[in-house]
Amino acid sequence: MPGPIGPDEVRRVADAALNVGGADGVEVLFMHEWGGLTRFASSSIHQSTHREDTGVSVRVIKENRIGVASTNDFTIEGARRAADHALEMANVVAPDALFPGLAPQAEVPGVDLYDEATASATPAFRADGVADLVAQCPEGFTAAGAFETIASEVAVANTEGQFCWSPSTMASINTVVSGGEGGHGFAEVFESATSDVDPVAIGNRAASKAVDSQSPRDIEAGRYPVVLEPAAVSTLVGFLAWIGFGGRSLAEGRSCFSGKEGQRVAAGDVSIYDDARARGTLGLPFDFEGVPRSRVDLIKSGTFLGGVYDLRTAKQAGVGTTGHALPPPNPEGPFPLNLFMEPGETSVEEMIAGTERGLLVTRFHYTNVVHPIESTITGMTRDGTFLIENGEIAHPVKNLRFTQSIVEALTGTEMIGRDTELASEFFFSASRVPALKVASFNFSGRSDH
Amino acid sequence: MLDVARQAMEAATAAGADYADGRVVIDDEESITVRNQEMEGIDRSTSQGLGIRVLVNGYWGFAATARLEPGEIERTARLAVEIARAAARLPMDPVVLSPVEPVTGTWHSPMQVDPFNVPLEEKVAMLMEATRRMQTIDGLSFGEGGIDLFRRRTFLATSEGTQLEQTTVQSGAGIEATALGEGEMQRRSFPNSFRGHVSAAGWEHILRLRLIEESERIATEAVELLSAEECPSEVTTLVLDSGQVELQIHESIGHPVELDRVLGMEEAYAGSSFVRPQDRGKLRYGSPLVSITADASLPGGLGSFGWDDEGVPAQQVPIIVDGVFQNFISSRETASVIGQTSSGAMRADGWANYPLIRMTNISIEPREGSLADIIGDTKDGVFLSTNTSWSIDDHRVNFQFGCEIAWRIRDGRLTTMYRNPNYTGITTEFWGSCDAVGGREDWTLWGTPNCGKGQPDQVARVGHGASPARFRNVQVGVRG
Repeated sequence: MPGPIGPDEVRRVADAALNVGGADGVEVLFMHEWGGLTRFASSSIHQSTHREDTGVSVRVIKENRIGVASTNDFTIEGARRAADHALEMANVVAPDALFPGLAPQAEVPGVDLYDEATASATPAFRADGVADLVAQCPEGFTAAGAFETIASEVAVANTEGQFCWSPSTMASINTVVSGGEGGHGFAEVFESATSDVDPVAIGNRAASKAVDSQSPRDIEAGRYPVVLEPAAVSTLVGFLAWIGFGGRSLAEGRSCFSGKEGQRVAAGDVSIYDDARARGTLGLPFDFEGVPRSRVDLIKSGTFLGGVYDLRTAKQAGVGTTGHALPPPNPEGPFPLNLFMEPGETSVEEMIAGTERGLLVTRFHYTNVVHPIESTITGMTRDGTFLIENGEIAHPVKNLRFTQSIVEALTGTEMIGRDTELASEFFFSASRVPALKVASFNFSGRSDH
Repeated sequence: MLDVARQAMEAATAAGADYADGRVVIDDEESITVRNQEMEGIDRSTSQGLGIRVLVNGYWGFAATARLEPGEIERTARLAVEIARAAARLPMDPVVLSPVEPVTGTWHSPMQVDPFNVPLEEKVAMLMEATRRMQTIDGLSFGEGGIDLFRRRTFLATSEGTQLEQTTVQSGAGIEATALGEGEMQRRSFPNSFRGHVSAAGWEHILRLRLIEESERIATEAVELLSAEECPSEVTTLVLDSGQVELQIHESIGHPVELDRVLGMEEAYAGSSFVRPQDRGKLRYGSPLVSITADASLPGGLGSFGWDDEGVPAQQVPIIVDGVFQNFISSRETASVIGQTSSGAMRADGWANYPLIRMTNISIEPREGSLADIIGDTKDGVFLSTNTSWSIDDHRVNFQFGCEIAWRIRDGRLTTMYRNPNYTGITTEFWGSCDAVGGREDWTLWGTPNCGKGQPDQVARVGHGASPARFRNVQVGVRG
């Protein structure tokens, strides 16, 4: 199996780009990723893969004119060629009046997220895990999903003398168990090490929900109180990362939180923060400009405090960077990749018991933005939606479409779960969130299954 | 590079593969974004590598590497075989490949002017001028323009004797105007949203788009939308422009007829399909005006090629004929499950991914009349233009789409402008309510360069030919 290239070799290749002649400044972003994914459906392994790739992205600055070129040719010649191309582009474009300069030299605290066993996991190891998961399906049910083990190393070097490098690993399983009379159940797990991933537990959880969700009944669309399991909450929080917390959209008035600093935007016990270096997430200790990351409180006790910034948007907004740059070029601006919602004190069972009539949602599917400034999104329920009556699960219901403002849902949050789960809504992004009970959630349509 | 693909195939066969293919892919991209006459980004990227796919005792394995030296090719081939052997940990019916004639050949998408050779200064100047003109409109917040170029060279060698070299060059550009007001953000795009109109063509395609000429119009509309009425919530007659019909086809016809999805292979990710194998020739998918064809040979289509990534030649496949479902898009593996041969739809996202069934160019067959004719023939309804959002359930039944702009149709004329329009429906009911499909004069072969599918995530570049169309009794104006 491949392994880390290591900081010394990365620095040697990066130097070839940093030394390109005629530039005022150069930044090199290096990424190396390798790993395997074992994909299964109908309780058989049908698509499996292993891949290794490197990426060298070179940003060249000349008189505030910026060009970016990328290659997966991780050699001195490849890096030099990318730098030449970037310089060629920088020579012909207009200057960027907001260019803030490259990240200064700064110490980056280490984060230990690299697990050798995960980096070198074999196809047979993953297949055994899938077999253990599939074995949890009762008669008449099958499992689909993927077991992935990946490793990566990321480094940033620039002509200001900054150099940072970090290796990490991730093991994840997601599955949908289906069968019986229209039953579907879902479970997933993301960890930095395979030793923390339990295929049997994941299989059991999905299978149990699939058995319980059989023979779903029609239900009218409309407003219902909801209990949202963590996977569903992660969709809401993940979309806030996109349409709410970015410093550029905040500064330009495009965010649902623009102009709302210091205002109440959620129930008083809702707190959301971003912290790439905290335990319980899978984050890089520095951003893609090489700035060290630190915790940023975004919503504290229901009040919006502010967003996240990279060097350019920080200059635009007159604040300091929070270390949330994405890989260049990045017209969308900065983005929080490691969100947390503070847990509460309630179990999902207590939320159900506290609901006279409402719905329990396992997760959402294919969600998209309807009105970004109102934080309204639409999507479907999936893999286990249930009617709650008199504090108990009454029966499964067919899937519903929701069209709902996230801010309104957070404002109407009545209970917050005590347990959190890590879920990933977007590439490079993960949210650790609890379950929520929300007073009123708008289901605008329904499906046939 | 064909030599490398052949070496990989031979190394996999030597390692124990019953079937093997080696595929070298070289991707080059260039992207330019200008906003309010300032550079937002300009970048070029290149990526090359090798993917090796094997069948061992009826199980698939795939491994990929960016390093093309002989030792690495052999290591990757052995790993692909090891992956296939590990898959046998769980029983399944062995994969059977439907037959295909081995072929040797080359193919290149049509192109007059290589867009990668056009000077950067010319590209930047076009976007600068378009955004300058947008900025002349009072109330506009942002005028943005983008150009995206893509070139893929593929070299495929299979253990059945196929050896192919193919190149596609794709060019796209678009402009977007954004106006911000009190609690509102309105956008207008041209010629389509999400970075415009992409075609398998050269620079000549971008010149034909006339971005500069349309820039002031869309900026004006974006500003006007800020004070427009909200699209009312009602069940009414809906007319869609061809750009929105494109995405309606993509989500509610293209994906549901992918045979791997139908067979449950995508269950855990974006889901399965309401369409079943036994529905061929029987399922009433739409009204008799709805005929849909998958055609991988259309000039200019992002889903056009000489052969797919299994070496199956480009085909024209009737998907829906006069409203009745007829055929899936398929691979060699899935076609054999239902006793057919492949429709030639297997494509991979670059060298690092295995091929999946992907849409080619899935288009609605034009009927008669222009958009103006359809609107002129509508007594009361709404006309929606230019997609902003999309969502569909995990069986591809319940959908909801948003558009940038709408107008009331009264007595055959566009009247009141509406902002924030959207509509929702059930796939077969919606297509069944179609009572007008525009003719060739307003039929456009659009590009969709961002179709996601599979685990690990893959992005495909697909095409959809679409005319404007009319649908009856549709719920519009869904509110949160």
